[in-house]
Amino acid sequence: MNEMNIGRLLRSATTGYVFGCSVPEPEVPHFGMFVKAPAQRGQSEVVGLIYNIAIEDDLFVRQMAATPNLSETYIQDQRANRQVPIEVSVLCVGYRNGGQYAHALPPQPPITLDWINTCADAEVRDFTQRHDYLQLILDAPDAPADELIVAALQRAVESRPPEDRERYRREAGRELAKLLSRDLPRLQRLLKRLAP
Amino acid sequence: MGLELNKVTASVDALGASAARRITDLNQRLPAAKAMLSAIRVDDELMKKIAAARAHRWAGAIPSSENINAVFPLPPHPARLNVIAADGSQIYPDRHGIALYYLINIGSIVFRHGRDEAPATNSTPQVFFEGDESDYAEEAGPINSEMVNAMRDVRELGELASLAVIETETAPTVTLLDNGLLMYISLREHNRDFGEGIITDYLRHLDTLRTCGAIPVGIVDRPRAANVVRLLNLAKMELSEITSDSLQSTGPFAGITDAMLFAFLKPGERSAMFDNAAPDNDRYEKKKHRIFFFYLNAGRPGKDSILRVEVPEWIATDRARLDVAHAAIVEQCRVSDGFPYTLMRAHELAVVTAGERREFEQMVIGSLMRQGIAPSVSQKAQGKQWTGSGKRRYPR
Repeated sequence: MNEMNIGRLLRSATTGYVFGCSVPEPEVPHFGMFVKAPAQRGQSEVVGLIYNIAIEDDLFVRQMAATPNLSETYIQDQRANRQVPIEVSVLCVGYRNGGQYAHALPPQPPITLDWINTCADAEVRDFTQRHDYLQLILDAPDAPADELIVAALQRAVESRPPEDRERYRREAGRELAKLLSRDLPRLQRLLKRLAP
Repeated sequence: MGLELNKVTASVDALGASAARRITDLNQRLPAAKAMLSAIRVDDELMKKIAAARAHRWAGAIPSSENINAVFPLPPHPARLNVIAADGSQIYPDRHGIALYYLINIGSIVFRHGRDEAPATNSTPQVFFEGDESDYAEEAGPINSEMVNAMRDVRELGELASLAVIETETAPTVTLLDNGLLMYISLREHNRDFGEGIITDYLRHLDTLRTCGAIPVGIVDRPRAANVVRLLNLAKMELSEITSDSLQSTGPFAGITDAMLFAFLKPGERSAMFDNAAPDNDRYEKKKHRIFFFYLNAGRPGKDSILRVEVPEWIATDRARLDVAHAAIVEQCRVSDGFPYTLMRAHELAVVTAGERREFEQMVIGSLMRQGIAPSVSQKAQGKQWTGSGKRRYPR
């Protein structure tokens, strides 16, 4: 996947941010996707994982949901003109300052209306060479940690050439075994999900 | 102290009881009015009474060629139809504010039935201020809220006209206004020229709508008009009894509205067409835009929604285009439970919220400061800000 703009930042904190986008395309945004936002006036980039995509309702939409034979024009009006922005929540799992990635919370969050971009395959590969970010996912109070780990690791695997994927899976599995050594049932569930 | 709710409890109770008594009273008198609607005969005698009443500026309903108690079922909806709606919102001028200005925001939506695409939506704000050469209407003296309302109404119709010119090229096009089409302006003597200008512009937009082949419709939700009820009362009177004084009330039908009278309409049905005898309509007639009206139940079984629908004469007398308007309104209301969807959306696009109003004021403050002007509100407005931001109340 190449880098692309997928929305603008609505609000942020050190641990995560929320960006808005219009009607989702089939491929973006999706759960577990690596995204990045500029911070510190462009000095750094905050890397995050999408963990929630929320489409809000309102009384108008509720009324329409109960209407039979709704034509496509009404639906398109609600989707394309009214239900924007769709709110996408991101968990911060690291940042890049200069050429180096750090698997830690960023020194400063991105600011309102900054562009949010998807991470290209090469960036995902670079960022996921180490596995320290997994601890940040496990510690996140609001994100569905296990589902997010599986989705993120699958994305990391897909970003690699086929001949390298099995090795990467084994390394990630070993890292998870270290992190979850005291919770074997949970570890077992995760490893099962990661199996090709 | 502000409003001490405990001191109005008795009045609120009395209000509720009064409303209940009024409903009981109206329900007792309504059958007689309905019977009159069925019994009334449109003959020379009635037309003489109407002519006599009009000499006294009577604002009743004049029967059209349709039987006055006729009911018209829902016609089929065209496969392809454009519906355009426009609505306006405003910030009124405030002489206690930081600067004298006002704002009009027009929201519009072009909804293309039969083309599965998102409607085109738009919102056009315009700011007017002292010294602005565009359209401040300074010559008319200090601008007031009624003048702003009139300017907003004209702009709503203007927006519909300019969009209709484009959309009528592709399909039959109904334009919806969230108001009656007959615009009432009651301005004082010194604003007469302003009022003339407004009506001239309004009629010019109706000209455009007629020329391009659009179907303009004004919709009044929960109408309180009693034009047809006035006709019923007039029919009961002797010709010799018709005077300015006797026409002031609706006699035995006092308090009854046309909407109550036509509550027998089933969902989808419309009433007969009537000509509005209001003297203001004469101005429209000169330009061949005399305004007619009918009532329509745009609700569903179990939830009626009686709307008053106003159309110009050139639609009222064109049954094919009238049917298109009828079908379009009912379809629009089906989705939004009794009021046209596109009008709801146009309102949503136009409305200036309290928050937006505050933000706009901040923009004005910034602009004044950049020009070296220290903006300030009047002391009266300042006092309101001090006392209205959050009342302190101590338990006693």
